[in-house]
Amino acid sequence: MTAVLLRRLLRLLVVCFGISLITFLLLHISGDPVAMILPEATEADRATLRETLGLNRPLLVQYGSFIGRAVQGDFGQSFFHRSPALPLVFERMPTTLLLTFFALALAVCMAIPAGILTAVKRYSFVDHLATLLVLLGQSMPVFWTGIMLILLFAVAWNLLPASGWDTWASTILPAITLGTFQAPLFLRISRSAMLEVLGLDYVRTARAKGLKEQVVIIKHALKNAAIPIVTVIGLQFGVLLGGAVVTETVFAIPGTGRLIVRAIGQLDFPVVQAGVITLALIIVLINFIVDLLYLYLNPQVRIS
Amino acid sequence: MKRCLRDSIYRWGVLLVLLGLGMLGTPTGAALAADADTIVMALGLDQDTMDPHMHFQRVGILMNINMYDSLLHKNTKLEYEPSLATMWKALNDTTWEFKLRQGVKFHNGDPFSAEDVKFSFDRVLDPNTKSPQYGNIRGIKEVKIIDPDTVHLITDKPFPLLLERVVFFPIIPKKHFEKVGAQAFAESAPVGTGPYKFVEWKRDQYLKMERFTEHWRGPAPTKNLIIRVIPETSTQVAELKTGGVDIVRNLAPDLIPDLKAHSNTYVSTAPILRTHYVMLDMREAPFTKKEARQAANYAIDRQAIIDKLMGGLGRVVPTVINPMAFGYDPTVEGYGYDPKKAKELLKQAGYPNGVDITLHIGTSEAFGRQLAEAITEMLTEVGLRTNLKIWDPGPAYNKFFQGEGKATNGFIGSWGYYSTFDADAILHPLYHTEPGGWVGKWYTRVPGLDELIDEARSTLDKEKRLVTYAKIQRLIKEEAPSIFLYHQHDMLGMNKRVEYAARGDEWIWLYDAKLRK
Repeated sequence: MTAVLLRRLLRLLVVCFGISLITFLLLHISGDPVAMILPEATEADRATLRETLGLNRPLLVQYGSFIGRAVQGDFGQSFFHRSPALPLVFERMPTTLLLTFFALALAVCMAIPAGILTAVKRYSFVDHLATLLVLLGQSMPVFWTGIMLILLFAVAWNLLPASGWDTWASTILPAITLGTFQAPLFLRISRSAMLEVLGLDYVRTARAKGLKEQVVIIKHALKNAAIPIVTVIGLQFGVLLGGAVVTETVFAIPGTGRLIVRAIGQLDFPVVQAGVITLALIIVLINFIVDLLYLYLNPQVRIS
Repeated sequence: MKRCLRDSIYRWGVLLVLLGLGMLGTPTGAALAADADTIVMALGLDQDTMDPHMHFQRVGILMNINMYDSLLHKNTKLEYEPSLATMWKALNDTTWEFKLRQGVKFHNGDPFSAEDVKFSFDRVLDPNTKSPQYGNIRGIKEVKIIDPDTVHLITDKPFPLLLERVVFFPIIPKKHFEKVGAQAFAESAPVGTGPYKFVEWKRDQYLKMERFTEHWRGPAPTKNLIIRVIPETSTQVAELKTGGVDIVRNLAPDLIPDLKAHSNTYVSTAPILRTHYVMLDMREAPFTKKEARQAANYAIDRQAIIDKLMGGLGRVVPTVINPMAFGYDPTVEGYGYDPKKAKELLKQAGYPNGVDITLHIGTSEAFGRQLAEAITEMLTEVGLRTNLKIWDPGPAYNKFFQGEGKATNGFIGSWGYYSTFDADAILHPLYHTEPGGWVGKWYTRVPGLDELIDEARSTLDKEKRLVTYAKIQRLIKEEAPSIFLYHQHDMLGMNKRVEYAARGDEWIWLYDAKLRK
């Protein structure tokens, strides 16, 4: 058990190192930030700034000093915000995490019961209806769903605020928007996982010994079907974290996604690096938690 | 059974912990709803910093002007008006005298003085400050305090744009700035002499301000000002209709009929300096040939673009000089739409069967996509078969731009003159070939043009400058280094409870806005 954990931890470090290297290299081949900071300056002024920012040193030296400071939590000053980069990212992280969490919770609450139901009542009317909804849900782009929800709930019916992130009411539409996009995938996965399990011998045994259908499904079948579901949810958490940027834009939510996308456009190296590495850490951490959940769900993993 | 119970307690426990974690980031505080004494304006982008000297963004300017005054101001007719300076004149070709207003207070109660003026200019002029606005005022060599209410700005050469540049040059308090430091000033403790003082800034969410009751103009009519950041235009418009926001800028023309028809909203427009053009790469065939460049100019039906794409809001310009800018020569005639002549000229240029070209455009360009597609069609029609490359804003586009625009025949763009009402503000960046310039150094090769631009910017004599600009406009009309298009309108969407009219300089001067009670 400890060995497993240690191995995971080691992998985490390697992943972080790899991500930092890739981010660093991609950024540095993507253009010259000095030309963005001083658009109207002479070449001499730019050279001075390049020197002050240390951008004139060899790439390897720059990467070394970047890593050296980054492990101490210092990602440098944002070129445009004129303040340290990491706090800028941290300031926004709770918002993005919360949005992701709401959306995921919503998607799970909608999709998993529906998935079970459609598996149990295969080829029924409910099943066909669910298939149709899945198709719809995955075909609607997030920005379109978002704008439609705003038009209906804010403009036409005046029930909820159109944008912002300052009251509980304002979190509802974004969570639905992002959740609706995720739900179909979860529904499909839980349906197929459930179908597979329901055909197995131990389920038949459970039924044969006279257990109630609910107990068979919830207690016996679901626990085994949960493994692929948990995997997908874990993976999707990462996708959502990065993919929340469209939702953040439509609903004017001050999240990490928007910060990073804009920083990429401005070639604001410190912010991009701080943001990408923080997100990567969170995703790695989530994967780690998913791994732990496996241990709980699947005794075979525990033994081996 | 026991096992099952334990499991379910465990499961619920995990869920609760997760929920608790979620709560940590819970949104708190009251909604930013419009109330009786508050004006809410939406901007698509936040300022990067509250330090008014450390950015060159339009949205930053729109936020700054409420909190800071400059030496001069412009009224709604765009004439110079006193602000922190009450009188100004050029003593000679390189010395400008400004008499300062007395009895002005900063938001923290400190008195405004000549020291603050000198400090503000010196700060931006110091290369160590790395101010992006340095280029705007680098013609100033020295700021001299003559007496407590007189300041001289001394320039190294005659600097005809000086008055234009000090209309947005915020004066900050020396004492306060030195006390709190640059970082706090940029984030949490900005202080100016403007009509509104700082309350709270939540990056990428809102900037809240409250009127400064001791402002020298007298207190602003509306007590609270909130500027909200809403990136998506559709969301801005939804907020406008529901009353969450009072003012929205940069409306797309296709939204105008909708907002005009809605019971809560109206639209206010004004012609502005922003002028559209297609830069042609004169280093590469076919646009090395004058006839080919002229052909491109004859190929475009500008009025059709204005009518169909801009909702009629725009005006054809004969060159890139905007009729609102100093130096505009109304006697220069534009190219007009003549596809036959275009084909003829293309034949003369040596392309009787037409030629393939590539044009680029960034999607951040206002109404860019539709405009670019229309231009592509029209050029292809006369034989300049255009392959359009559309760039999303981002590193790839920056790299293309910083790569000297190579492997391209030109790009479709627009220039807002930096709100400077002078021909130089567009001629230099577009056409001057000096290394410190903008795209002219890559694309433009018109013999004699650099010298003329330099000549016009090195004298304060208005008559002389007008003569030179008339020469320049004839020259560029003939040489056609760009396809000349049109200039556009600023379009504001407004809630009916706010009374305000769009200005020609794209400023939104909220001191003039009034709430209907």
